[in-house]
Amino acid sequence: MNDKPKAASIRPTINDVNRPFWDGCGRGHLLVQRCSHCGRLRYPAALVCPNCLASEAQWQPMSGRGQVFSFVVFHRAYHPAWEGKVPYTVALIELDEGPVMLSNVVGVDPAKLAVGLPVAVAFEAVDDSLSIPVFKPAG
Amino acid sequence: MAWRQASIVGVGATRQGKLPDETPLSLAAQAFCLALEDCGIDKGEVDGLLTMPGTTSPEGAKNYLNVGELVGVNPRFTGSLTMGGATGGALVQIAAMAIATGMAKTVACIFADTARTGGSRFAAAAGGDDSWGVWGMFGNAANSAMGFRRHMALYGSRSEHLGWIAVTCRKHAAMNPNAVMRDPITLDDHQNSRLIVDPLRLLDCCLISDGAVCVIVTSPERARDCRKRPVAIWGMGQGHTTENLRLREWWYLPHQRDCVADAYRMAGVSPKDISVAQLYDNFTVAVLFWLEHAGFCAEGEGGAFVEGGARITLGGSLPINTAGGNLSESYMQGWLHIVEGVRQLRGECGERQVADAELCLVTGRGMTLNTASCLILGH
Repeated sequence: MNDKPKAASIRPTINDVNRPFWDGCGRGHLLVQRCSHCGRLRYPAALVCPNCLASEAQWQPMSGRGQVFSFVVFHRAYHPAWEGKVPYTVALIELDEGPVMLSNVVGVDPAKLAVGLPVAVAFEAVDDSLSIPVFKPAG
Repeated sequence: MAWRQASIVGVGATRQGKLPDETPLSLAAQAFCLALEDCGIDKGEVDGLLTMPGTTSPEGAKNYLNVGELVGVNPRFTGSLTMGGATGGALVQIAAMAIATGMAKTVACIFADTARTGGSRFAAAAGGDDSWGVWGMFGNAANSAMGFRRHMALYGSRSEHLGWIAVTCRKHAAMNPNAVMRDPITLDDHQNSRLIVDPLRLLDCCLISDGAVCVIVTSPERARDCRKRPVAIWGMGQGHTTENLRLREWWYLPHQRDCVADAYRMAGVSPKDISVAQLYDNFTVAVLFWLEHAGFCAEGEGGAFVEGGARITLGGSLPINTAGGNLSESYMQGWLHIVEGVRQLRGECGERQVADAELCLVTGRGMTLNTASCLILGH
């Protein structure tokens, strides 16, 4: 079914910079860096603030709410991990706090998906060490 | 006043398509010979060599060494650049600047690839350590599809609009003996082609091809004595966004607008002065965006502009991709767009010739929709 893309064989490249993000997902929190110097949120995780170049940052929990900024529906699997899962939906989600994330929208027929649809984050556990943030239509 | 401090005097394009007996180097040598023959310049005069490594040239940024050794050019000025589909235009710009500053006199720009035979995949997960593959975000089509979906939502553009671009490029390719795909297609063919990454269908996607292209640039003075009518570089521009997700407007590629605006300024012209355009078309939607970015229509009006195809074909207000483009001629990552621009301005294009072609806009874009380059060519 297209609404359960687990992507079990594709794991994120976790490094010192983005580890808190993925650790946060494991605990059910969507964390984004906020620059300690200029206060800007930045996603994806980065070594320095692209605005002011300061390196100190705090990890701030997001509300997990946002809306579909744009989306596509894959009808072709470009990787073995996604064979059997097409058609599946990949979307840009604009969080209420501002950052734009790439993710999946699950639990909705791709034909009913629309730009502007309100969504909320959910976490799909791949195994004990990895949970992936996806989004569902907000109730 | 137009810039006009360097001129394109020679273009060479090999056979295109599936060429299993060739290698990137064998093709590069052919393209170089064809371009030298085209301008009548002796190899010994070539003192600059700029290359774009193909997908099957794993040496990457050292490609200029291999190509230089191959053709026996020991240049005063050289290098290789990787900006995807923006590279051809960018290298011609670098060549032009080298010539204008006196660092080189005659520069050969070369691209060769065997992506078709080599089975090159253009489907890697984009975004590097963003780990986009975790969410199944693969391949170049998806980025362009993401942009088009938002364009559809904001402006009401439709898949049929993209279809007119595909149909028009194929119609032009049918008039190009060197094009890979020459059988005409209809809007229905486009609409019935399978979805790849919705909203993009198979016939929205470019080809994958083997082939090579060489473009020779020299000074306006030297250009006067060449074999064919020289084509002067009137204006040049680039624009890039290195950020993807972090830039909210990444989907619309605002850097492409800046890129063309700079070239217009340098050339001292405006969109109404352009007679023909070769717009980079890795996917049909790229053309729609370029039409807006280059000011041929307002933001959001690209769909209406291409509807029916009349404006963008021969006899229309802006014929585009007159050789068929990446979609139907061959996927030389925009290098053939430069070649066609030169040929249109020379009046060499036979039945696909645009009447009174005075100025040609050539655009390129590449990577994860990060890079853009633009040339305005004239006499």
